[in-house]
Amino acid sequence: MPKHEFFVDMTCEGCSNAVTRVLNKLGGVQFDIDLHNKKVSIESEHSVDTLLDTLKKTGKTASYLGEK
Amino acid sequence: VRSIVVSVEGMTCNSCVQTIEQQIGKLNGLHSIKVSLQEKNAAIIYNPKLQTPESLREAIDDMGFNAILAD
Ligand SMILES: [Cu+2]
Ligand SMILES: [Cu+2]
Repeated sequence: MPKHEFFVDMTCEGCSNAVTRVLNKLGGVQFDIDLHNKKVSIESEHSVDTLLDTLKKTGKTASYLGEK
Repeated sequence: VRSIVVSVEGMTCNSCVQTIEQQIGKLNGLHSIKVSLQEKNAAIIYNPKLQTPESLREAIDDMGFNAILAD
């Protein structure tokens, strides 16, 4: 499965929990959240657009960093 | 114009509060939203033709916070 890395402007545990919840709601993802470096890596068959849209639902700035 | 209070779980700081106020405040039919970190809720004033308690609850839930309507 492709692994993608995203920047998400998370500042606290509330943010990383929100990212966890939106990704779990989407489903079909395995992910790792690095709150300190504001990075989320996601292993999934979903398109990058779908994943980015999902991350943006949190209201945080998010962008695609690339394949890992 | 109607008002509701939605319970919101999972906020840990003021930036959580601001994110919710900004995102939900953008919705159609929103007059005002005041989120309280201490009370763990969001007081919303809205146009009932454009939003319902459930649509508002769902909008907060979609952001990744656990939102519950008090009966
Ligand atoms: Cu936060
Ligand atoms: Cu916070």
